[in-house]
This record gives sequence, structure tokens and C-alpha cells, in this order.
Amino acid sequence: MIRTTSQLISLHARLEEEAAEKLRGLAQRHPEAAEALNRLGDENMQHRDTVARVYREGVTDAFEVGYLSKPLEEGEYVIKDLKGPLNEAIETALLNDDAVIRFCHDASRDANQLIPSLSQTFQRLAKRKERRKALLESLV
Amino acid sequence: MVVLDEPIKGVVEVKNYIDGEWVESSSDEHRMAVNPATMKALAKVPLGSAEDVRAAVDAARDAFPMWRRTTPLTRSRYFFRLKELLEQHFESVSRVCTMEHGKTIDESRGEVRRGIENVEVAAGIPSLMMGYNLEDISTGIDEILIKQPMGVFACMAPFNFPFMVPLWFMPTAVATGNTYVIKPSPWTPLSMVKLMELVEEAGFPPGVINMVHGDVKPVQVILEHPDVKGVSFVGSTKIGRDVIYKEAASRGKRVQAQCGAKNFLVVMPDADVESTVPGLLSSFFGNTGQRCLAGANLVMVGDDRKFIDGVLSKIQKATQGIRIGYGLEEGVQMGPMQAVPRKNRVLGLIDKGVEEGAKLKLDGRKFDCGSYPRDCFLGPSIFNDVQPDMTIAKEEIFGPVMSVLHAQDLGEAIEMVNGSSYGNAASIFTGSGKAARRFQYEVECGNIGINIGTAAPMAFFPFSGMKDSFFGDLHGQGRDAVDFFTESKVVIQRWP
Repeated sequence: MIRTTSQLISLHARLEEEAAEKLRGLAQRHPEAAEALNRLGDENMQHRDTVARVYREGVTDAFEVGYLSKPLEEGEYVIKDLKGPLNEAIETALLNDDAVIRFCHDASRDANQLIPSLSQTFQRLAKRKERRKALLESLV
Repeated sequence: MVVLDEPIKGVVEVKNYIDGEWVESSSDEHRMAVNPATMKALAKVPLGSAEDVRAAVDAARDAFPMWRRTTPLTRSRYFFRLKELLEQHFESVSRVCTMEHGKTIDESRGEVRRGIENVEVAAGIPSLMMGYNLEDISTGIDEILIKQPMGVFACMAPFNFPFMVPLWFMPTAVATGNTYVIKPSPWTPLSMVKLMELVEEAGFPPGVINMVHGDVKPVQVILEHPDVKGVSFVGSTKIGRDVIYKEAASRGKRVQAQCGAKNFLVVMPDADVESTVPGLLSSFFGNTGQRCLAGANLVMVGDDRKFIDGVLSKIQKATQGIRIGYGLEEGVQMGPMQAVPRKNRVLGLIDKGVEEGAKLKLDGRKFDCGSYPRDCFLGPSIFNDVQPDMTIAKEEIFGPVMSVLHAQDLGEAIEMVNGSSYGNAASIFTGSGKAARRFQYEVECGNIGINIGTAAPMAFFPFSGMKDSFFGDLHGQGRDAVDFFTESKVVIQRWP
């Protein structure tokens, strides 16, 4: 159960790291798509760092930042292994992005009353991840 | 549950930082600072001596002539460097704060951020410290006001915000050209040790910023020392008023003593319940109630029982769901009290509340803190039907206790707020601008929240306070701080 902002940030970091790791692993197995897959993996890590920075700069003891009003279930956001041939693995990668996008929307809703700048960042990341789906699909 | 790594392993032998060197205290007396969640020893802290303080003040006094001649722009650059180092060490400093205080990691990070904000403000000192002037006050005569540093200042910091509170004072004092001595709380010395390591790394010249550990003895010496021009204090009203203010002011020193509080949070019948409840929870139970801006008395206004019962029921339900444990566990929402005596004091006041007839709706003495030793842990308590003359409505509890009072209308609620001897903070939750304005206008408190549960002023505003909550003239932070740490000199000139 995700009850605090700190947990929210840690879970986001883990999702981005896992998604990046899977994409980079897939890149090693498929040199023909390696450049794009590695770029997407790098983007995941940038997204992780962006959220961490916005949190660090926005967290304050001045307002209520600690308690999430509607706790999130960690198990609802799962990054799966990218198995099988490239087209199958890309399908899974798209599902992984969907999981992170869903998390970003949920986190944005909860972060809104805690740290508004964090909420906006999650929304922005969700949009970016939606946009990059086209690139992933083009690799199939 | 993820438990974050502890940055402190073993027991730290705490040293003073004087004249750019880490030196052992000349005191033979020590106390152990412990992690209140695990009860493991963290640091061996010297209780301090007169010699320690004199050495620190001497170093600061000797460094002052050179430091005041260092240009404001150069002084500000030291603070830019310190800010960068604090960002680099943000997480480890936050975890140290949690380890020695017990607050949750989110709360510690919030505290560290607010400390850094004070460093950022101090880095703007070339603009903040400017004086003013007027040509031709009489024909051919000009008048100029210059703000000048005064010498050595010192602060005596409390246990509840071991990192942030010294930074309310030191950056502005030093950026304006003064030199400084920090005395951290002996209960929570390690956040300041971390800070001073970074001060050293930032390259501040020896003697400009010094730190002396200790308990009562160093405080007395600071107050008596003729070279100390002014002191800043945060702590109880008894000590702040009867010792710090009295002793320092009688010797002609500048004083800002930020003291105790009993903060009222007033909920009007037109308040937005969804946003009010989280604000209340955070105010009453954040930092385990150990902050001078914490909510203490909740005043429900009006006779709409459905609304009142609805709000109280939501508060009770949400409070029961607060997860208590070690602050380095990321899902923990409330840590332990900082030390056993503080917990025992709160327990005594809960007993008193029951004895005086308040209804204990949620008993914080019964709670689950998992596998951690119960020594310092205490759950949140809620009293209902508290009367204004009851002890729990009047005395500062400084723990996770909410006392619910009832008022017929806003006027009665404001009377309750103003009936308190304290005047630190008060908040109103309402959808009415008229009610909010009346509250802001009539309430005798220094920090007012309107639909904000914890009215904590940012670094560029003064941390206000009135009545028994503040002794002195100029508050910490903001423009008040610049004035506190500088002497105004007026020059009137004519060039025939």
C-alpha cells in the first residue's frame, strides 16, 4: 500500500528503472532496433530523475505533504519481462508503458493536494509516454 | 516495506567546530543521543563548558573584522556553494534528521528543503542588505542609511527541527557580515554536525561559523559573554522568557526568542471537508505534534450536528489509519516522540484530560508500532467536548493530541483563540472571505492560516509570533532577520 509521498517517488523510480532495464535488454538481443530501444530506456531514466528532482524541490514541512488521501496499490503497476520475438516483446513494452502511464495519472491525482508541481510533472510524463508509443510501434 | 539505509553506523563521538577545526570539548560530562525509534545510541554528546564557548566566541570575534570587509557578493557566493553541497547531500542529511529526531523521511526532507531555502535567501544578500538614501534633506545635504553587521551572534537550537531552525538564523547573520556560534540541542546534535561538515567543505573562513555542543552551561556563557551581540532561541516559553530574553536583554544584547504555542484551528460550517481533513491531520499529527506550529485545539463552529459529526468522524477514521513506526520506513506516516521524557509528559497531560472530564475518543496510548521498542512511541489521541478552561486546552502539549472544542459562532471561536496566553499560529477553514478576513483581522497570533493547517512562513517572510510565543522585537527569517542582524547607521553629509 502506497501511503506516503516518499513511497510514491520510490515506486515511480522502480517502475522507470525496470522499464529501462527491460528495453536495454531487448536492445542487446535486437541490434536492428537497439538505437531506438536504448534511447527509450534513457528516457525512462530521465523521467525518474525529473520526478525525483521536482519532489526534492517541492517537498516542504510548511504544508501537508506526507499523507496520501487515497492510498495506491503497488501491485497494480507491474513491469513485465520482454520475452519472445521482437514484435511480441514490443507489445509487452507497450503494456509496460501503459502501466507507468496509469501510475502517472494516479500519482498525479494524489500528488495534486500534496505537491502541485509534482502532480503537473506526472501529467507531463504521462503525455510524453503516450507520444512515444508511436516510436515503439514503428519498431515492429 | 522498504526501510531506507541508515547513513550513521555506530556511535558518533561528537566534536565542536571552532575556528575551522574539529576539536574535542573540554567537558568531561556527556550524554548519549539515541534514535528514538530503535533506541540505539547514535552519538556521544559533550555537555559543554565555559571554555568551549569562550573559544568559539573568541574565534568568531577574531574572524569578524576580515569577514565584514569581505564584500556582500563574495559572502553570498559562499552560500551558493553551501546550497550546492546541501543539494548533493540532501538525502543523507534528511536521513540523519530522521534517525536522531524520529520524524518521517518525508518530514525530514521537508525540513531540509526549508533549511536550504534560508540559504538561498541569504545568497541574495547584496540586494537584501541595501540601505536607502535621500538627496537634499536640506539644500545641498544628503542623508544615507547603511546597514552594518555587528559582530558575533549565536543561536540555541531546539530538538524538534534540528536542521532547519539554526538555518532560520545563521545564513542571514553570516551573509550580512556577522560571525556565528551555533549550539545545537544535545538531544539531536547530528544534523548540525552534517551541516558544519558542509560549511567546512564550502570553504567558509575559519571562525566565521562555529559550533559548540552542550546543554545548559554553554547557554549561560553565551548569554553572559560581552562579545556576543545578539542571540536567537527557539524553545519553551519558560526558558525563552525567563532565561534567554531576561538575561540577554538585560545585558543589552539583541534577542529573538521564539517560544511555546497553543494553536487553534477553527472549522466553519461552510468549510470544504475534503481538503480540510488532510490539512488538519498534517497539522495535529505531523512531526508527531512536536512543532510550535502544530494544531492543538480544533474548534468546530456552529450547531449543524450533521456537519460537525461528519467532519469529526472523517478525522477519527483517518487518524486511526495513520501508520506509526520508524521514519526511515517509507510507508510510515508518524514517527515516535523524540525522547522518553517528552512522551511521559504527553501521557501525563492525556491523564489530566481524562481526569478533567474531556471525552477521549481516540486513545493514543493504545497503538501498534510493529516490532520497534515502545519507549518513545505514542499514537495520536483525540479528545472531544474539551472546555476552554481545561488543562489540555490551555497548556502546550507538544505531542500528537487533538482537543476538540465547540463554539456557537465565529466570534466565540475568536474569543477562544485570543483567550490563550500564546499567540503563535491560528487557522480558519472556511469558504467565506468575510469570515476569513474577520479572523485574520481580529486574531492575536503571528502566523495565520486560511484553509491551511500549518501556517509556516517561508524563508523570505518572518516567522512571526506574539504574546507568550515570542519575546523580542524582530523575528527570524525575512526582512526582520536582516534588520535583526544589522545596525542601521545614518550618514548626513554636506560637501561645501
